[in-house]
Amino acid sequence: MSEELIKVTINGTEYEVEKGRRLIEVCNENGCNIPSFCYYSDLQVQASCRMCLVRIDKMPKLQTSCTINCTDGMVVTTNTEEIAKAQRAMSEFLLANHPLDCPVCDRGGECDLQETVMSAGNVEERFHEPKNSFAEKFLSPMVANDQQRCILCKRCTRVCDEWMGETVIEAGNRGVNTVIGTYGGWLNCSQCGNCVEVCPTGTLLDAVYRHETRPWELERTVSTDVYSSDGMQLSIGSRGGKVHRIVARDRYVNGLNGEFLDVKARFGHEFVNHPDRIKTPLIRYKKGGKAIPATWDDAISFVADKLKDSKNVGVVASPRLTNESIFTLKRLATEALNSDNYAVSDAYNLAPFFDNLSAPLCNHKEIRYAKTILLIGGEPEEEQTYTAKQMRQAVRNGGAKLIIVNDTPINLIKSATQFVHVNKGSYEAFVLALLDKKNDKVSAKKLGVDKAELEKVRVTIAATEGDFIIMFGGDLSAEAQAVLANSAEKFASDKCKVLYHPLPLYNNSVGANDVMQGKKSLGEVLKESKSFIIGGSLQDANILEEKDFVVAFELFETETTDKADVILPAASFAEVDGTYTNNAGNVQRVRKAIDFVNQSKPDWLIADAIAKELGVDFGYQSSASAVFKAIADSVPAYEGLRYPALKNESKPVQAKHTIHSAKDLSNEIKALTERVEALAGETNKNNETPRIGHKLHRLTTLTSRTPQFHLLANGNPKPENLHVSPLKQFDTDGKAVAAS
Amino acid sequence: MSIISDVINSTKAVIKGMKITISKMPQKKWTVQYPDVPVTVQPRYRGQHLLHVDENGKEKCVACYLCAAACPSECIYIEATDDARPYEERVGRDERYAKVYNIDYGRCIFCGFCVEACPKDAITHGYNFELSVYNRADLLKTKDDLLITKQKQSKNYRVALSDEDVDSEYKEVDKVGIKFRL
Repeated sequence: MSEELIKVTINGTEYEVEKGRRLIEVCNENGCNIPSFCYYSDLQVQASCRMCLVRIDKMPKLQTSCTINCTDGMVVTTNTEEIAKAQRAMSEFLLANHPLDCPVCDRGGECDLQETVMSAGNVEERFHEPKNSFAEKFLSPMVANDQQRCILCKRCTRVCDEWMGETVIEAGNRGVNTVIGTYGGWLNCSQCGNCVEVCPTGTLLDAVYRHETRPWELERTVSTDVYSSDGMQLSIGSRGGKVHRIVARDRYVNGLNGEFLDVKARFGHEFVNHPDRIKTPLIRYKKGGKAIPATWDDAISFVADKLKDSKNVGVVASPRLTNESIFTLKRLATEALNSDNYAVSDAYNLAPFFDNLSAPLCNHKEIRYAKTILLIGGEPEEEQTYTAKQMRQAVRNGGAKLIIVNDTPINLIKSATQFVHVNKGSYEAFVLALLDKKNDKVSAKKLGVDKAELEKVRVTIAATEGDFIIMFGGDLSAEAQAVLANSAEKFASDKCKVLYHPLPLYNNSVGANDVMQGKKSLGEVLKESKSFIIGGSLQDANILEEKDFVVAFELFETETTDKADVILPAASFAEVDGTYTNNAGNVQRVRKAIDFVNQSKPDWLIADAIAKELGVDFGYQSSASAVFKAIADSVPAYEGLRYPALKNESKPVQAKHTIHSAKDLSNEIKALTERVEALAGETNKNNETPRIGHKLHRLTTLTSRTPQFHLLANGNPKPENLHVSPLKQFDTDGKAVAAS
Repeated sequence: MSIISDVINSTKAVIKGMKITISKMPQKKWTVQYPDVPVTVQPRYRGQHLLHVDENGKEKCVACYLCAAACPSECIYIEATDDARPYEERVGRDERYAKVYNIDYGRCIFCGFCVEACPKDAITHGYNFELSVYNRADLLKTKDDLLITKQKQSKNYRVALSDEDVDSEYKEVDKVGIKFRL
């Protein structure tokens, strides 16, 4: 966008706007609301609904304002009788084939078409011919479709193509029979549901929330996604203590992700009110015995009694917990239990990365406008879906260069400008090659690629004019992380700004790393301690069998709770106040949407109660904001932050991670070189592109509570009868077809 | 004041009063002898609500929540659900129906907005007016109390015919010269 300001007159008032801006946006910003259906700021222009008509002086006919860029001296009128008449005629056309079944439509009450028509008022239907009519059907377990409601704005097809790179939804047939559909009538995609989100009518609908309630009945709470580390902002729609749906529709929430959410964030919320939630504190008085319900007071004093005498208590926090919970668990370990055995049960440790960080973390907007993106390992389209969307758009709309280094031809390589297909587990060799040209020979051998490919990567990076973003997924050793994080100076120049973007697996991996300073590795803690307090669950709980005493805070019964002596019901993200820190370092609020389900309590409150029973008062007085203040006081990156400062979700606040200057990392480089040299170097590349959604649709403790995920995890079979919910045609195992 | 004049005066007063009473006795009664005689209600009387069914006994309500949205006293509570079975097996006429439909008569003000809002003519006011209960919680009426197929109609009312002059009793009162004000 050019910085040059030009003058545009709208309805007699002169405005100064940036040259080349879309007229419809300028009008909407300045209070002349222009109705439109097909226009969507983050998508390419379609201009098919013809609702955004305006009169521009010296132009012969009414013009569609979504296709017009502002030019100097433009004189625009938006509120004349002529325009109102044209728009009314357009709505009449749109309604010619649109059924008036708003009472049964799930979109009724938040439908763009309904709103526009009602606000125009007095729209008379003059078409009395029979309307097209189709029965409602399902496109997938997540998406319901009602063809006749479609006004053919094609937002869904553009979203599917531009955001997700999947192109599974398209318009079929011709003329008046045009309908939105999909090949074979069944959606086999990642089921992100963004088509549902952007649909201005009730054509595509959320099948999980199908016919549950109506939008105006829902209380809307802006919160943060509990699954991916992108920290997508969403709106929890709850009613009477039950979470009904999650949307990111931007009239409800205006977060960093716009209207983007993925399948887990949007549909994986059924766990909140699931009947399998642990209802009361449970105590297992005898090892291997039955867990017996107890009161909170009993359970807390039981825990405190047991822990009073034990030394070296291990405290493990899940990276899914809020910053407040993780921080309180740490304080519980250090201050109440006098133990320095605390860890985060994350898949990989980000500490070496943040300890050597030499350039700032990039936010998601910077990814969208980056010039070169280097992705080492990881699979963002499955794990950090919003980052993947921004990368796709950066390539597609911004002309960015995307270099993907991976051992598997992941789905994102469709957007890549260069794909370096490397051997399994050899990402460190790539880091080494990136660091110094002289390592190319060794690295190329270990990576199983041609030296020229590494050279090409280097040329692309050197030619960058703009932002250069280094992203990395898991599988990088501590040394490789440190070296990579400290190498910004090597790539930075006057024209090129280096930014980092880690791709951790959990919603609060970054926050856990920030607030649990001085943590040990999980293996170390599990080995050293005999008694444990575990917030969340462990990936592998077998080690707990030999331990003396285990306390687990959990939502559901897991392998960890099976081996725990005391199980305390924790509250889910929809029931607590707190913060998550996403992979861009944005500290974002989690807000309480519903009352505690059953007798659950937030993890930090449980830890606080145990500490009080042990005689230590953290002075929180049951207030999450007090915990956050304590975090801000003790963690340098969060200094000065308070809840009111995080209030506005449209202006995410970035934690101030320390930027280190280039360090002497010869030890790490040496260790890294040794590691690389020890690599086998034989060709063992994955040549198969994984199925879309192979990680997104995986059944976990949380996603398995949404029955639809069982069908997705079992290959998303197409049912025989599309008009009946797939849930009724398959049992929860997904495979067996139940005879109806 | 002597006792005799007291007796005379009070006797006079009694006679005066009884004269009026006795003179009214042979006249037509204008009070309704409820509950021995049913009350005549006007056709548009707003009594307890009725949830209607279609000709095949399927509930008309599609749980659009418009009645709840229109309700000024927020006494209507609905829980909608999806019923994907074919029409013959369904509860409601449409795929969407109200799993729970409660009206709290402790709050209802019988304004009729819900009836006006209903796009499916599924809810109307019936004529049942005997809503008093011994327990306050019983004022909450569920779908079982409201459905036209299940609601027990009271014997204590009759609906006026359309050409019937229901206001006549007041006019009769006017004829005898007693001003009756509401």
